[in-house]
Amino acid sequence: MEEAATGGRGTVTPFASMFPASEAQKAAKRVEEKIGEKQKELDSIKEFVTENTNLINLVSRLPDELNHDIMVPFGKAAFFPGRLIHTNEFMVLLGDGYYAERTAKQTVEILTRRGKTLDSQVESLMANMKDLKAEASFFDVTASEAAEGLVEIREDYVEEKFREKHSKSDDKNNDKKVEFEDDEYARIMSRLDELEKEELEAEAEEVDAKDDVESDVEQPDAAENNDESDTDEQTDAAENNDESETDEQSDAAESNSESHDNTQPQATLSIKEPLLQKTAGALSNKYLPQQNITDTSNVLMQTPKSGFDSSKAFTGSIAESADTVSTNSRQQAVTSSQVITGSIVERADIPKNSQQAAISSQASKPAFDSSKAFTGSIVERTYNLPTSGQDAFSSQSSSSQPSKPLSRFKMRRS
Amino acid sequence: MGSYIQEKIHKFEQFVDGHLKPQLVRVIAERDKVFEQQKIFSDLRMNIENLEKNSVTNLRTMVNLGSEVYMQADVPDTQRIFVDVGLGFHVEFTWTEALSFIALREEKIAGEIEEYTRLISSIKARIKLVCEGIRELLQLPAEKSLPQRVF
Repeated sequence: MEEAATGGRGTVTPFASMFPASEAQKAAKRVEEKIGEKQKELDSIKEFVTENTNLINLVSRLPDELNHDIMVPFGKAAFFPGRLIHTNEFMVLLGDGYYAERTAKQTVEILTRRGKTLDSQVESLMANMKDLKAEASFFDVTASEAAEGLVEIREDYVEEKFREKHSKSDDKNNDKKVEFEDDEYARIMSRLDELEKEELEAEAEEVDAKDDVESDVEQPDAAENNDESDTDEQTDAAENNDESETDEQSDAAESNSESHDNTQPQATLSIKEPLLQKTAGALSNKYLPQQNITDTSNVLMQTPKSGFDSSKAFTGSIAESADTVSTNSRQQAVTSSQVITGSIVERADIPKNSQQAAISSQASKPAFDSSKAFTGSIVERTYNLPTSGQDAFSSQSSSSQPSKPLSRFKMRRS
Repeated sequence: MGSYIQEKIHKFEQFVDGHLKPQLVRVIAERDKVFEQQKIFSDLRMNIENLEKNSVTNLRTMVNLGSEVYMQADVPDTQRIFVDVGLGFHVEFTWTEALSFIALREEKIAGEIEEYTRLISSIKARIKLVCEGIRELLQLPAEKSLPQRVF
């Protein structure tokens, strides 16, 4: 590949070196061949369609008379003069060697249904061919462009410069923000500690009765924070630190809702583990793309975080990213989002975040349309919370603890 | 010299791949068609013999209208049968006439098949020959063991 530096950064690559004209032409030819194949397929299907319509006409006409004089085929090479009798009785192949005796009307119905299937096949083939044609034209254009000697200029986007400028211009603003957040963090942390203690006690009581994971799920606190997601993390994270994380997370979310201090008892969630595990597994690889979307929401939070020890900072960031969930919660049937709505009230700096969250939640929605209403709500939550957790963690580790493995969550999930 | 040999080999290979092999495929397909004809006529002969044996005078059968939709058909008189004699002509025969015609037809078909088989083996032989030529050009040792096998 030929590269010419322009001012120290960026590259100029002739199109021809990346996509040699001959290669592009070859590719175009291959696509043309594919189109030819599809055309043949389409022709045969169209033949079927015409055959089918002819047959429909024939079948609907046959009962008009009591009998028709025909040459009855006897093998492939011989005929007997004969006639059709019982002109309103047809044997129609249903498939797999099963035949049904139908009247002319019923047969016509069957044949029209077959015709519809054929039509849909034709349609899909047409769409396929359209795609292929677009591809072929793209290859052709590429070939001609390469032949013309077009070059591609690629210049890396340098983010640091932008950041410097940004921080300089927004100095005051930033300071204020940091102050504000610091203050808030202190508040959150104190509340966190309190709640953690409370919860540990409560947990200790409940652990007696039930086994570890289930108790976590059924804890009112946890349930309140719609801990499908938390349980998810638990199942993923197997044993150790997940409990503390769950607690911290729920605490964090709760501390956001200080103003709404009422801790409404929610219906306890007794979801079976395997199900969660499954959904978590299914989702795990979809977290990654999401990260990009929610990442920006966590950039802001990096500064205050670095002051705390890692676990605190982590929960803090989760509390922040609970905003992400908040917008989501509107779309969900589960009422447990009460805590989170609190966070909306409190935060002045979230509009941007929530917007992004809205985007992300929208993005996540269609993927899970197929899941049932109940699991749907679970899924949505699991979708966002762990993501933000992951985000928070990765941003945290990059800012204050670069030595930690970046994708602990990912590792655990896989 | 080397380039000359290379060129020659290339020519030979092109002859085999571009001419002989497609020809072989075509001829085999044609022979398969004739095989099919043979089967049709032997079936017909067996059917007619069956009718004779059971002395069937009228017949009920199902006619395929297309797309595997069938309707009942009645043949009041099975004595007269119309047999395809080729080129789209059908001749009205009695059973014995039909059987003698079918015998002639089968004979002809057998001859055709034999012809095709001979053609196929000759094409195969030519392919073999050219391959041997290539081998000779490359001066590979295999040629020494092969002469006994040459046709």
